[in-house]
Amino acid sequence: MKCLLIASESAEVLFHWTDPEFQQNVQKQYGASQEDGQGLPAFEDSISTLFAPIIISCITMVDRLRDSYTSFTTENHHIYVLHQFDECLYIAVNGDGEEGECDLRRKIYVVKKMTEVLFGMVTLSSNLLRKELRPQDTEQRARLWKHLQSLLQTYGHLRENDQSFLVEAVERLIHPTLCEQCIEFLERRLVQQLNSSGERAGEEVMHAFILVHTKLLAFYSSRNASSLSTSDLLVLIIMAQNMYPSNTDSDDPNPEVENDRRTSGSGPESFYTPEPSPPPDRGSSSSGGFCGRCCSVYSYLVSHLSFAFAKLEKRLSEGQEGSAATRGQRTIHEVRGKLDKFIKALGPTEIQVCWIEFKNLAFTRGGPGFSRHLIPSCKKMKTQLCAVYRQCFLLESGSSSIPQRLSPGLQERAQSMVQEKLMDWKDFLLVKSRRNITMDFPGLIHFICVDRSTGQMIAPSLNLTERNTSELGKGPLAQFIRRKVWTLVNTTRRYLQKGYSTVTFRDGDFYFCYFLWFENETGFKLEAGDLPVLSDDSAPIGMLAWDYYRKLLRYYSKSHQGEVVKCYELLTVHLGVVPAEIILQHCRQLASKLWEPSRNPLL
Amino acid sequence: VMTELMQPDSRRCTYFFLYDGSKVKGEGDLTREGICYFYPEETPLDEQELLCGQLAGAGRCVSELSSSPVCVLRLRRNKFAIRMKDDFFWALGCPVEVPTISVCELLDQLINLFRFYNGSVRRSYQLNRPETLASRWAQYLSHLQSGSSDLHHIFSCLRTIDATNIDPLLLLKAALILQACQRCPLVSAGCVLFRGRVVSTQISPELTMKVMVHESETYTKGPRCNDPGTFNSFGGAVSSTTVFLTRSSLAKFLPFSSHSTPHKKKPTRKTRLSRTLSNTPSTESEPSDAFSSPSFSRRLSDSSVFSPDPSQSGADPTPQQPDPPFSNGEPSPEAEEEVPEESNYESFHSNGNGVSQIGAEESRDHNVFEEVSGGGCGNVQGRGAESPDPARSDDSPLIPMTLYLHRVKGLVLALLVEPCFLSDTDSMEEVYHSSLASLNGLEAHLRTVSPGASGPQGPYLFAHFDCVQSTLTTNLSARPGGALQRPFVRATSLLHSHFCNTETLQEAIIRSAGAAVYGTRSVAQETYFQQHGGSLRNSGIPNHQDSAFSLPGKARHRLLKHGVNLI
Repeated sequence: MKCLLIASESAEVLFHWTDPEFQQNVQKQYGASQEDGQGLPAFEDSISTLFAPIIISCITMVDRLRDSYTSFTTENHHIYVLHQFDECLYIAVNGDGEEGECDLRRKIYVVKKMTEVLFGMVTLSSNLLRKELRPQDTEQRARLWKHLQSLLQTYGHLRENDQSFLVEAVERLIHPTLCEQCIEFLERRLVQQLNSSGERAGEEVMHAFILVHTKLLAFYSSRNASSLSTSDLLVLIIMAQNMYPSNTDSDDPNPEVENDRRTSGSGPESFYTPEPSPPPDRGSSSSGGFCGRCCSVYSYLVSHLSFAFAKLEKRLSEGQEGSAATRGQRTIHEVRGKLDKFIKALGPTEIQVCWIEFKNLAFTRGGPGFSRHLIPSCKKMKTQLCAVYRQCFLLESGSSSIPQRLSPGLQERAQSMVQEKLMDWKDFLLVKSRRNITMDFPGLIHFICVDRSTGQMIAPSLNLTERNTSELGKGPLAQFIRRKVWTLVNTTRRYLQKGYSTVTFRDGDFYFCYFLWFENETGFKLEAGDLPVLSDDSAPIGMLAWDYYRKLLRYYSKSHQGEVVKCYELLTVHLGVVPAEIILQHCRQLASKLWEPSRNPLL
Repeated sequence: VMTELMQPDSRRCTYFFLYDGSKVKGEGDLTREGICYFYPEETPLDEQELLCGQLAGAGRCVSELSSSPVCVLRLRRNKFAIRMKDDFFWALGCPVEVPTISVCELLDQLINLFRFYNGSVRRSYQLNRPETLASRWAQYLSHLQSGSSDLHHIFSCLRTIDATNIDPLLLLKAALILQACQRCPLVSAGCVLFRGRVVSTQISPELTMKVMVHESETYTKGPRCNDPGTFNSFGGAVSSTTVFLTRSSLAKFLPFSSHSTPHKKKPTRKTRLSRTLSNTPSTESEPSDAFSSPSFSRRLSDSSVFSPDPSQSGADPTPQQPDPPFSNGEPSPEAEEEVPEESNYESFHSNGNGVSQIGAEESRDHNVFEEVSGGGCGNVQGRGAESPDPARSDDSPLIPMTLYLHRVKGLVLALLVEPCFLSDTDSMEEVYHSSLASLNGLEAHLRTVSPGASGPQGPYLFAHFDCVQSTLTTNLSARPGGALQRPFVRATSLLHSHFCNTETLQEAIIRSAGAAVYGTRSVAQETYFQQHGGSLRNSGIPNHQDSAFSLPGKARHRLLKHGVNLI
């Protein structure tokens, strides 16, 4: 019983995804409408009718009470989580007990992230989002929704089964020699070949990496490329898994090669990895007349401006007129000159008209100034800027423009090159991907260690399949531990959200520990400071959809200026009979050993 | 976003309303017609209408989608416990940092209180003017919130007299007064209260809490001889009021109100729990078999008093109408045999386990939502709540009983009696006169006991919650919001939610930069401990010399002198 939908402020459903149970449930309530055999449209109608009162009530609450629903729970344990991103309302429902409130909230953030990865900064405006998510052509819409739904499903599967998606950090396959060889191979042979090929149509490979299932074997970035954030890399892994799902029960190695190129796609569909802020630079762009470094600067500026207007709009509509809105005002004043220059460079466009109108309202003596009257104009500027961003810095995916991705020929070539290269390693890699690391501490059942500064994690395998057993073997005990680990991560996040960085539990026959700490570059342990206390409906803690740890590091670094601060996490599961001192000793050893400078943890 | 800190709020309840959707059915009906009561009363009417209309509307819509009533609704700044029954819609809102389970408990208490004094909600609204009932909601709500410290936002507990300051003989005396009253067959059970605190009680914590509302009401009003419930013949010291008990809570008294003489009753008494404050060390040594063993396991197995509604465990052992035993004002002997001691015991435990089976049918009374581990609304029943779902039990027949109060200055003897007791002058006089002297004596003694310091202070904070007796022992100062106490209260709130949602969790240590708090629990109790001072400075990296990990040992050692045994 699962459902996820995105609605506009006019209560129009922009996107929805339901599982068969939820669909049945809706159809049961609309028994009559089922008879006309209309299939999808009828279902879509009934789902929007059913949710409309909730959506409208939510909008009313925001308008009149400046508060909004964050969740509903029913007596039969159905959970509804609601979250508003700018002009759009996201609702996630679970009725089968498989997802809790935080899982649903996380899912909402992931959908938003996916939409941004696919379409750019459209989530700021319901109009733009509507344009992307509800194309007029029903067939095109069906295809698009199916793609997005499948991405969500892949994400859901990974979140439930893969530890790296549980903690939202990338797991590397630990084999330094092979890793080095592969990077060299990517740089010297693969990327060079692709970049020198005539088929590449002016595109240039920016990043290339090799995955074994979801684990990262090697990663290469060109010198011109900006760094790829963990969040983006995780989304790319989801996309790769969506294209080439790894059948965990089979022994088919097929390492996947991902050439993220900003402009050259490797998949059946072109995809991009723009970040709302700050966006990575683009190797080239389809229109707009910007290029190279210049493009990067402008794209950052545009996204920055869009957010400035979105923020100002929010402040004004929340009734913070006058002095309270000054912060937003200041930002606009600061960017005024830049925006003037930018719009001049664009030439006569619609945005120019909007900007003049805005300036007249906001800056003219005797005009309304920064008050409620500015909201429509603010909204227009925001929408225009988002559109410019999309036009200039993202690739058009429509049929009108050239499909900018690796030609099928190049894709095949890349794949066969990698397969050839790794042929001898195939069996080793497969085993390695399942037994990345082993442990030797009596009484220690499981651990996960995460380096949040690099977004990498390491943990013994918990994959349970018929043919491959994990360290724990298979059967009910292993399943039990697995479930415990998944719950433990959620629980510790809950405490972390409230500012607790050390947590230990005695639960049944087990003893669980969680530690978060900071180090400087030389490995010196820094004192634990006050962590921020967040509200219950704050963004989910993780790195995939919203990078909590980047913010945390920035927050912590304020008191450690001039030092490179690193952040680590360690989770352990011990048998309850092990004395506490021994448990802590293990934790200490793990914490210091796992990230030794050799980067060659316990093999 | 990262600096968005939660503001502490000393008020527990921010909103409470009862909305009757049946009054707002037609197109032209105004929302205000449906508002039965709204707290805070000074809220502008259009805001009242907005909240009632939107919450009830959205709630109904979600309920229809899920074919189940909404029980929790959260806004960004408030969380609401919701009860929906027929056309009634109750909502009680608290600041978001109050544990959800506590909000739900508070709403259930409130509705149960109303039903205890007024009977069925629907019928009350048919019989009475809404203004009259509104003032009752206000009274109950203010009673439940009165004098609540920060910890009372988390644990709903009985306020008891500080047993450490009192001669145990006085507690024994109070218990004996109650037992003496039970010699009259029309008296079911009762409690002795002093200045709004429990001295001794034979009835469940939930019932005792309800009885205390009337006690405080008569205390503030003072004895007025022309009150309908006051009896002139006893100098205005005695009053009574009709109360309504659910069949299940009534069943708990049946074995006590048998016809047998006190002598014959003795064997029965051995197995039942006398609800006195007899767990103080000195009283334990009293060689009276009227007192139960102090061990918690014994209490649990002996006591049906704390058990939840047996009908909720699906095995209602009293299918026959409850009325016949009372038709002549005397319970029939069969009624005695119907009492399902064993099944009550089982239901206590099975309901406790139900929480861990999220999504299972058995735990249908619990709400699944996030607290700490995404578990359930928690162990409302395990806590001994009389009826965790009053909305549903509004269907169950309520049986009228009479609450008899005998006041001697600050001291009150409260007895649940059968309605015919009031017309039975002989019985009434007997009960009155047999207890009068003892009450006077007890009052004189209790009056001289100085309120005293609340137990030994130390370089630590602790809270010990007895889930069975619903009592809280703590060394926190009563006034809310002490800056030093706040980290402790915050941690306790989180840990309590976690304990409620995770049946298997036994102990936990959580540490922020400023405070490390240790929490431990068993079936019958929860204990929280924080050590002051000492160097909390640490890197957060695992270290066995870290003072946080010595908390369990310190708690065991330090709390012994507070009567808390963690070993």
